[in-house]
Amino acid sequence: MKLAYYPGCSLHSSSIEYDISTRKVCAALGVELVEVEDWICCGSSPAHQCDDLMSVALPAKNLALVRETGGLKEVCAPCASCYSRLKVAQRRLEDEDLRKDVEMVIDSKYPDDIEVLHALDVITEKVGIDAVKEKVVRSLDGLKVACYYGCLMTRPPKVTGKGRFENPIQMESLMEALGAEGVDWNMKTFCCGAAFALTQSDVVLELTRRILADAESVGADVISVGCPLCHANLDGRQTQINNKFNTNFHTPIFYFTELMGLAMGIEAKDLGIFKHITEVEDFLKERALI
Amino acid sequence: MKVVKQEDIKLDSSFAEEIARRSGENVFLCYQCRKCASGCPSRMFMDGTPTELMRYAQLGMVDEAMKKNTIWYCLSCQTCSTRCPQDIDIAHVIDTMRIIVQERKIKADDNKLPLFNRLWMTMIKYMGRAYEAGLVASLNLFTGRPTKDMALGMKMIKKGKLKLLPSFKKPFATMKMFSRAKKLKK
Repeated sequence: MKLAYYPGCSLHSSSIEYDISTRKVCAALGVELVEVEDWICCGSSPAHQCDDLMSVALPAKNLALVRETGGLKEVCAPCASCYSRLKVAQRRLEDEDLRKDVEMVIDSKYPDDIEVLHALDVITEKVGIDAVKEKVVRSLDGLKVACYYGCLMTRPPKVTGKGRFENPIQMESLMEALGAEGVDWNMKTFCCGAAFALTQSDVVLELTRRILADAESVGADVISVGCPLCHANLDGRQTQINNKFNTNFHTPIFYFTELMGLAMGIEAKDLGIFKHITEVEDFLKERALI
Repeated sequence: MKVVKQEDIKLDSSFAEEIARRSGENVFLCYQCRKCASGCPSRMFMDGTPTELMRYAQLGMVDEAMKKNTIWYCLSCQTCSTRCPQDIDIAHVIDTMRIIVQERKIKADDNKLPLFNRLWMTMIKYMGRAYEAGLVASLNLFTGRPTKDMALGMKMIKKGKLKLLPSFKKPFATMKMFSRAKKLKK
């Protein structure tokens, strides 16, 4: 299977371990990811808040670039924000007047037949849970995972096309295939505060605290995510949360691709896991995963 | 019988019309059920609610909608847009209000979000991609908090999670896109 790959800005920088682990896991599953050449930022958080036309034109340009990537018709976007912006643009571009304007801005034709897939969709829908199961050599038996989807992997359903958007179970099925257990919890689609981490940190610290507390209260060992910003907030802000709220969180936050890699026998260091801000070494040793 | 003056009940729908023209959303569909406000994760930080914003838009109360911090505390989490029984994309309406505020240069109390957005868009324009280290550093500098998240930033650099130098990806391509868009808007 061959797919175009749109990593987005975060996967080239602050969430580089998501990029590394996605590539490793896909390669092991026989999925060839071809990075879109000269891709540009999708417009992410700022564009839709200050420039409506560019918020559609930037993703449209990238979809046009996908088409130039060996004529591929499917693109894998692991970042939930990129995924969402690409999908929103596709929906908005059904409007003919807007499409004409956007085509003028991007100076090329907009291809309307590209399928945008989040990395989790690629694994669960294109590769299939059974194929993943076959590759498991180090079952994550007894590991309690709180699967965290955040906002944009499922919402809004008109954009994502997801049937289960308030209580998704896609990642839980994947975790079961790895031998782990997806716990039942409340916060799986609650917002972590996203990019407010940089402008209004108090919002992020409070919302992220609630997510960590809920996962802890149901006895989850780790939280699994599929979004760079969710990871940055849940993994990177634990010290600040502990200082502010007098809590004692040390919850390992994994990208679902990292947990897949571990179960598939790929070494933790080759998956980029030691780049996490919240230390995971003790946890991995305890579980005999390193 | 009481006498009602016509001017007291005259509705100014120009604000709702502008929102409809820009976003394709009809705020008059809102019947104030408050489902959006109930589910909003940012509600505790707002001095109003998304439901109130819809009402202000219906009544043409532009100043009330624009001057509260509510629009600037929207996290774009899409919970309201997902749950609205009238299928209004409320997050898109709020985005539209933000764009109108910025175009009219109404000051958004001391919220840092408009500046953050401008810095990020400037980076996309001239570099093609977001340059995270530069974005954080310039935001903290411009908002007078140069040491914000310093410890976290140092840790990220040590872990190789922040690129100190930007990468320029065909900057002329994005610069041209921005200038064509600007021409089109005129």
